[in-house]
Amino acid sequence: MSSESSKKRKPKVIRSDGAPPEGKRNRSDTEQEGKYYSEEAEMDLRDPGRDYELYKYTCQELQRLMAEIQDLKSRGGKDVAIEIEERRIQSCVHFMTLKKLNRLAHIRLKKGRDQTHEAKQKVDAYHLQLQNLLYEVMHLQKEITKCLEFKSKHEEIDLVSLEEFYEEAPPDISKAEVTMGDPHQQTLARLDWELEQRKRLAEKYCECLSNKEKILKEIEVKKEYLSSLQPRLNSIMQASLPVQEYLFMPFDQAHKQYETARHLPPPLYVLFVQATAYGQACDKTLSVAIEGSVDEAKALFKPPEDSQDDESDSDAEEEQTTKRRRPTLGVQLDDKRKEMLKRHPLSVMLDLKCKDDSVLHLTFFYLMNLNIMTVKAKVTTATELITPISAGDLLSPDSVLSCLYPGDHGKKTPNPANQYQFDKVGILTLSDYVLELGHPYLWVQKLGGLHFPKEQPQQTVIADHSLSASHMETTMKLLKTRVQSRLALHKQFASLEHGIVPVTSDCQYLFPAKVVSRLVKWVTVAHEDYMELHFTKDIVDAGLAGDTNLYYMALVERGTAKLQAAVVLNPGYSSIPPIFQLCLNWKGEKTNSNDDNIRAMESEVNVCYKELCGPWPSHQLLTNQLQRLCVLLDVYLETESHDDSVEGPKEFPQEKMCLRLFRGPSRMKPFKYNHPQGFFSHR
Amino acid sequence: MERAVPLAVPLGQAEVFQALQRLHMTIFSQSVSPCGKFLAAGNNYGQIAIFSLSAALSSEAKEESKKPVVTFQAHDGPVYSMVSTDRHLLSAGDGEVKAWLWVEMLKKGCKELWCRQPPYRTSLEVPEINALLLVPKENSLILAGGDCQLHTMDLETGTFTRVLRGHTDYIHCLALRERSPEVLSGGEDGAVRLWDLRTAKEVQTIEVYKHEECSRPHNGRWIGCLATDSDWMVCGGGPALTLWHLRSSTPTTIFPMRAPQKHVTFYQDLILSAGQGRCVNQWQLSGELKAQVPGSSPGLLSLSLNQQPAAPECKVLTAAGNSCRVDVFTNLGYRAFSLSF
Repeated sequence: MSSESSKKRKPKVIRSDGAPPEGKRNRSDTEQEGKYYSEEAEMDLRDPGRDYELYKYTCQELQRLMAEIQDLKSRGGKDVAIEIEERRIQSCVHFMTLKKLNRLAHIRLKKGRDQTHEAKQKVDAYHLQLQNLLYEVMHLQKEITKCLEFKSKHEEIDLVSLEEFYEEAPPDISKAEVTMGDPHQQTLARLDWELEQRKRLAEKYCECLSNKEKILKEIEVKKEYLSSLQPRLNSIMQASLPVQEYLFMPFDQAHKQYETARHLPPPLYVLFVQATAYGQACDKTLSVAIEGSVDEAKALFKPPEDSQDDESDSDAEEEQTTKRRRPTLGVQLDDKRKEMLKRHPLSVMLDLKCKDDSVLHLTFFYLMNLNIMTVKAKVTTATELITPISAGDLLSPDSVLSCLYPGDHGKKTPNPANQYQFDKVGILTLSDYVLELGHPYLWVQKLGGLHFPKEQPQQTVIADHSLSASHMETTMKLLKTRVQSRLALHKQFASLEHGIVPVTSDCQYLFPAKVVSRLVKWVTVAHEDYMELHFTKDIVDAGLAGDTNLYYMALVERGTAKLQAAVVLNPGYSSIPPIFQLCLNWKGEKTNSNDDNIRAMESEVNVCYKELCGPWPSHQLLTNQLQRLCVLLDVYLETESHDDSVEGPKEFPQEKMCLRLFRGPSRMKPFKYNHPQGFFSHR
Repeated sequence: MERAVPLAVPLGQAEVFQALQRLHMTIFSQSVSPCGKFLAAGNNYGQIAIFSLSAALSSEAKEESKKPVVTFQAHDGPVYSMVSTDRHLLSAGDGEVKAWLWVEMLKKGCKELWCRQPPYRTSLEVPEINALLLVPKENSLILAGGDCQLHTMDLETGTFTRVLRGHTDYIHCLALRERSPEVLSGGEDGAVRLWDLRTAKEVQTIEVYKHEECSRPHNGRWIGCLATDSDWMVCGGGPALTLWHLRSSTPTTIFPMRAPQKHVTFYQDLILSAGQGRCVNQWQLSGELKAQVPGSSPGLLSLSLNQQPAAPECKVLTAAGNSCRVDVFTNLGYRAFSLSF
């Protein structure tokens, strides 16, 4: 207990020394320094490891003492209590030690924490400083970049190059001595010079503007003068009319025509100009005229202001008409069709006079919405023609100009763009309307200078004079030949229908004097009927029997033999020959598929037609072919070898002079007539 | 009855004339080149066209392969007969024989090597040459035609060595009997005559029309085609197609064909014939009709079998006649395609 109390007292003593009355604090502070028992200081001196050992030893002692006490207690006895008391005092001492150790531990801990805290504070301060500095650095860097990027407006101006500047600028601006060395000064000088130049140019601009104003005013004045001239010229022209008539120079009439021509649409205008030119230069028999109403043509092109007035009127009208019944869909479509197929009110008429005083009248129309030209044709002759039955189609206005050029049948519109237009209004093909509108042949388009390339549809009207000019002469010649050949055929048909083959005297040499076979029949045949014939299959398969051709059937007879000939007449007669296919009925039916000689006869007429052309313009081709056919039939029948097994004489005794009856592997008969010797031989 | 109508092409004068020419063309003769790859055809306008059989038969054949490689005007009159030697093509028409080099003909604008005319009796009309026959042993050519005579021409020197007279009307066809050697000729007078080449005399005459079994008076008596197999001979024309045993001059088999035949040939164990009518007829030796294969021409005038050993892939039968087409039969059973002028 004494040790305990001394131990207890020790700290207390010091502590109470440490707590003197307040007035003596200053002095006692210094005294305290010497006397103050600082547990902290002690702690610094002690070794934590040894304290830990002490702690372990103390715990062990306590345990031992407790164990001894328990022993003693369990043993019992008198001096047990003293022993126990002793041990108890020792335990208490040990407890004190433990307490001290605990305090020391706490103090150490606190010190450690304080130290850490301090260090941390320092680090935080440094950290903060670092952040501040970094932020400042960044800020400064930004400022630097801003400064570096700064572009002064003066750099956007395109200045003249340095050499030019030094050359052109006056010395007081360029100040070469100063500016050469100093780029800043140099730039300033250049800017100055730029300003100078701009000022000068602005002045010039103002000058030019005022000039322009002056000149415009002058032009106005002159225009007025000219427009006042026109009425005076007109009056002079009027006055000169009687003079013109007196001198037989109908300028006025031509002038009037040119006046009307101005209102023609471009393709018709091209045609008019080219035809008049051709007529004057090459062909006096061609006459050109313009027909139709000029007022209607003018009415097609109303100026825009009028149409605005019309719109307001028509609005008012529409309000009234909504009460009436709207026209039906069919009528609407019909109207649209009529609108699409509308013709320009003016048309050009060409009259071609041929040698025998027959005239071909051609009227050319222009379909505005479809941008194509069409033609209507009519043939008038000097004397009235009696039309034989078979010649009905020869001169009909519908077909007289068909296939003037090969393949140009005029039933389809040549402008590919029209197909789209037709689809909108439900027109299938133009051929339904050709009777009233005229035929849109390709040569008509070419005469009007309209060129339709095959692939692209045409949007703009390009009427080309050169195209028209190059075709004019050929087409006019072809038209004349066509009319003349048709008229010739017309006359020939009249004779053929009566069974006479009209052979002119200058073609007589092609045939022997005596021809016994006669032409008995000559009729027209429809295209479909021709195709149905069994002996025309080869021609149909070769594509030579189109629907633009005319078809006829001739019948030649001698005795019991009947020869049928189916004829294909191409509209391009007589440059394209008629084609014959034969069928002979005599002792069986013989055609080119079962008799080589019939094939040879066809060859004589079809392939060797050039001999039969006769004098140009070879209008005699068809009649010569027919006459040759009769001669061939004669030869065939007379040279037929006699069949010994059959009784009786030959039906056709041989009258023709032939050198040999058969020749070659196919045993051909002698079909070739030799003039003037008059015998037959083989080719 | 609606026939399929071909689209009418706009035809100018030249196209129409060309179309008419083609419609009326007759191919009279054919000949195969020594290499076996080309076929020459002669027509009634005097033109010769060379077709490339190897191109037309190859697997990449297009429409152009069926057209001639080259066409040229060979004679003024029709080319009735053609025959090929090792290097030459000999063509004959109106009275003259011309020779062409096969290798030269494939180039454009070739000219004939030589042109010969046999000595004719009459000068009023130039007689045609209907048949040419090569006699390899003598290296000579026999011509026969409109003047009723057979002329022999030596191919090396070009001179006319023999004239064989005997026919009373013009000669249609010739055949060679190799063993003897003898030449058979058939003519318009209805007789088949055998000539011995060494003695230049007529050895045997068979007047076909006098035999009742084969004569057909309504067709005439003319012999249009001949073929011989040394002991046997087949002939046709006006009379029926008949197989003859030569030594005994008796007809052994008569082939029941109504239409007159214009060409006949032995092939393996068959007899092929063609004439009026579309078909190529195949006969067994016994007289049975084995097959009738239709061609594209309404009548046939010549058959040609390409048996050249150098080109076995071009082994075909070609038939031509009254049209501008040559039918090619790769297999005797059907017509494969047609070459066309």
